[in-house]
Amino acid sequence: MSKKVAIIASNGGLFDAYKVFNIATAAAATEQEVTIFFTFEGLNLIHKEAQEELPIPAGKEHFQEGFTKANVPTIPELSMMAQELGVKFIGCQMTMDVMGLEKDQLIDGIEVGGAVTFLEYAKDADITLTF
Amino acid sequence: MENMTVNVQLDAKGLACPMPIVKTKKAMKDLEPGQVIEVQATDKGSKADMKAWAESTGHQYLGTIEEGDVLKHYLRKSSEEEAVERKHPNVIDNKGLEKKLQENNSLVVLDVRETAEYAFNHIPSAISIPLGKLEERMNELSKEAEIYVVCRTGSRSDLAAQKLTENGFERVINVVPGMSEWTGETESIE
Repeated sequence: MSKKVAIIASNGGLFDAYKVFNIATAAAATEQEVTIFFTFEGLNLIHKEAQEELPIPAGKEHFQEGFTKANVPTIPELSMMAQELGVKFIGCQMTMDVMGLEKDQLIDGIEVGGAVTFLEYAKDADITLTF
Repeated sequence: MENMTVNVQLDAKGLACPMPIVKTKKAMKDLEPGQVIEVQATDKGSKADMKAWAESTGHQYLGTIEEGDVLKHYLRKSSEEEAVERKHPNVIDNKGLEKKLQENNSLVVLDVRETAEYAFNHIPSAISIPLGKLEERMNELSKEAEIYVVCRTGSRSDLAAQKLTENGFERVINVVPGMSEWTGETESIE
């Protein structure tokens, strides 16, 4: 019954963050095992400061109001909820080195690993998604 | 229509996807197997989501009632009842009861599932007395009548049939498997 979901988050906008965390939270709430691999700009989604103010694509700023009106949780709230539900976050070591990021700049409770760490998990995943 | 009794009510009104599901999952953890939860939500996608969620987690989705903007979803926590061995000797299969009902629509059919399960899908002439209330409401039934006891899979009705027999009801018949595979006529509040 328990399915495995593997997600790659490689973009750093607000919309990207919602796609990643909504699917991850919903899957975890449905008793699926979920791991997200954050790479390149996707690291913004778990960066302590950056995740608080992810950019909305240019020209789409008016959606901000929609998010508030629809009572959508904020990204820090959603990412915390995902972790509470057991979603595993892996930060990409190589990208962190390139961007000069340290693990303590990222939110708590994450792991850091390389591509193989993710591949090892994803090799028998039932669902693999890239955002 | 008889009122539905639920064990837990959850308010997920005003919350966007995936919050109603996340809240339901958390609330479900504290329920006993077989108990019923009512989830109130305003997220219009929640109806399809609840159904899909229940299917993949093994819980039972009973149905949804719409009241204005509010969707009331009813779910029953999965239980191990399927594994229980049936003991009541007198049984009839679904087809057998369906045939008898066609011949005689004044047969006594007793539905011992929870009221919310009954509400969304039941045999039109069936009386609803949940298994947990049977002891106190037994006096509503006639000891002389032939009583066909039905539930979802035949396990709760087996327990009910045993209980009725112990209390002097002589013509009690368990319907197997019951509503999970019932193809005859039904009624619903939906």
